[in-house]
Amino acid sequence: MRRGLMEWDPQELPVDVLDARIARLRGVMKSAGLDAFIVYTNLVRPSAVTHLTGFTPYWSEGLLLVPMTGRLVFATALSNRVADWIRSTNPVSEVTSTPRPGTLLGERLAKDTAVKRVGLLELDAMPSELADHLAAAAPAVEWIDGSALFATLRRGVDAVEQAMLARADAIAVAALDRVKEEAVSDAGALAGLVEKNARLAGAEEAYIAVAPDLAADRRFNRISKPTPLSDRFAVRGSVSYKGSWVRRTRTFAADDATRRANVWFDDLVRKIDAERSFAVQFATGVSALPGATIESWMAESCVGSYPLSVVASSRLPTSDTPIAGSFYVLTAELLLDGRRWIGSAPLIVGRPSL
Amino acid sequence: MVIADDRKARLIEAMAEAGLDVLLVYGNAWQGDYLRYATDFGILEGQALAFVRNDGHVTLYLDSPIEVDRAQLDCPGVEAIHAPDLIAEVDGALDRLRNQRIGAAPQRLLPRRIAARARDLNLSDQTSFVDRLLMGKMESEIAATRRAAKVADEGYRVFMNAARPGRADYELIAETEAFFRANGVDDNFQIIGVGGVEVRGMTPPGGKRLKRGDMVTTELTPCVDGYYAQICRTLVVGEPSPEQRAAHALYRESMEAGIAVVRDGIVAADIARAENDVFRKHGLGEYTTSEYTRVRGHGMGLFADTKPHLLENVTTRIDAGMTLIVHPNTYHPAVGYLVLGDAVVVTKDGCEVLTGTPRELFSVPA
Repeated sequence: MRRGLMEWDPQELPVDVLDARIARLRGVMKSAGLDAFIVYTNLVRPSAVTHLTGFTPYWSEGLLLVPMTGRLVFATALSNRVADWIRSTNPVSEVTSTPRPGTLLGERLAKDTAVKRVGLLELDAMPSELADHLAAAAPAVEWIDGSALFATLRRGVDAVEQAMLARADAIAVAALDRVKEEAVSDAGALAGLVEKNARLAGAEEAYIAVAPDLAADRRFNRISKPTPLSDRFAVRGSVSYKGSWVRRTRTFAADDATRRANVWFDDLVRKIDAERSFAVQFATGVSALPGATIESWMAESCVGSYPLSVVASSRLPTSDTPIAGSFYVLTAELLLDGRRWIGSAPLIVGRPSL
Repeated sequence: MVIADDRKARLIEAMAEAGLDVLLVYGNAWQGDYLRYATDFGILEGQALAFVRNDGHVTLYLDSPIEVDRAQLDCPGVEAIHAPDLIAEVDGALDRLRNQRIGAAPQRLLPRRIAARARDLNLSDQTSFVDRLLMGKMESEIAATRRAAKVADEGYRVFMNAARPGRADYELIAETEAFFRANGVDDNFQIIGVGGVEVRGMTPPGGKRLKRGDMVTTELTPCVDGYYAQICRTLVVGEPSPEQRAAHALYRESMEAGIAVVRDGIVAADIARAENDVFRKHGLGEYTTSEYTRVRGHGMGLFADTKPHLLENVTTRIDAGMTLIVHPNTYHPAVGYLVLGDAVVVTKDGCEVLTGTPRELFSVPA
């Protein structure tokens, strides 16, 4: 449940930027022969609606209708009493509260006889009740999965999104910096400290996970109970600023191997290019770090409704090539001189920094 | 782990009674209660589907690799599988369960592609079956709710101590969250209202800074071992005005009237009616309608806002062992949105109030 800062600042996210994103979607809709497009949102799958409207639900769910022309319609099961709040954070849509968002939007579509083919982001994953209501209210409509089409829109990051990602990253970095400044020996208290600082700095959400003893276990968990920290632990901060998500992971240990790995990873992230696959770049990169072997790696990006989803990894059979101008979060796990090191950081391919 | 074992034994027994071979549950960080009941996993990122077989074997499919790590740590008795293409993977698994009697919950949130196979696979909607398990708590579940209610009291004190003029609403929540993370609370549902007569409800924080005379409303809902307990309180920055005091007294009378009727065997509407009658008596019946308020309380459990909703048209029977929040939260025309709510557990003859924080209109220095 979102409970951090949620507000729309027209200076930060101008309406004309949202209009440009909507126009871009309409352009690809037209090329694909779609007459309208529908996007689902809840707090786990908010990012496509956030990209188009600025709005993220703190709770409940909703559907956004993007017609070929005219104002967008956001229909939500959130109660009518919070409709004004939704409007205050969603400047580009008509907002309607209804217990049956699918029916409402389906009826809108059915009224327009020109609407024949409608794209749906992540069609297979649409909650069945909403999908049934849409289909029942608009029986003549042909529903098309629009996931691949939408992903093309998310190639490349506009200046406004870049600034918000940079703000999210600055919040994550500053919150993790507090780990070094405070002598905390308990993982639950540490997670609270990092989360507090992220939220005080304006994070909309902060998921803090800790691997309290990297020598024993590489896995991270959210921890809220007394758990001692070893002399080699790692903290992962997944932080959202107004719907823009980054992940930062840091290994904390007082040894030279950790310092060398940190330097190596910063350099790798800065140099990721659009010429070679992620797998090749990780393999080439680790060869430059004496004594290191790479245990696993992962590249995440925002291509649909999830804030971050894995687009390439050492666990997947294929490895894509990074796209110039696109946003990723890279995670690497190394064994360096027999010691485990884990790090993650965001980047935009071809740009020196966020 | 004791609670998870209790739940699993109860679920398997109920599945046998219902003639189910397999139960398919869906969950995400918003609606995670069905999944938590069946697997004990508290999901944060991505989505999950799980099969519970009648022999007790649980297979949990997760589309996020970082959640697979968490599931392995938190739920060692569950088979956690990374399924990058979650729906295709589960669709394939359903093929292997042909000829089994499969139930699903919550049906409305099942991915469309999975739900579309209902007829083909004899997949039945068992949402109400799981709802009954979610509503009626076992002693171990009630004990977890008691712990959550206690930490909600402590959390409210942290919230109140953080409230002072000039601070932003989200800063109060940040302080509370830090306390929760260090004290066994994995999750928290919280919304807030700051201001006066212009405030018509609570929302996530929007950066509003507290000033003298503001009412600060919050409902704070920490989660301990998966179980949420809620507290609703209102504070004033500076001395409360006579109007604020009078309004609060009315809400207290209403909440206490609601709590007074809670017992095994009534229906949800009885509680809502008792609360609303107090508003009607004071000529404020209009403010008990959906124009101004959502519900007059609700169930608590593995979901912060679970069934039954306390409304005058809800006829769900209230049984001993249910945990509820009774809150006459609504807009008051003289002072704005005001909240007050206590958590209770229903007993045979009445209820046990879990909330320990005084039912006061609090005041913090201006």
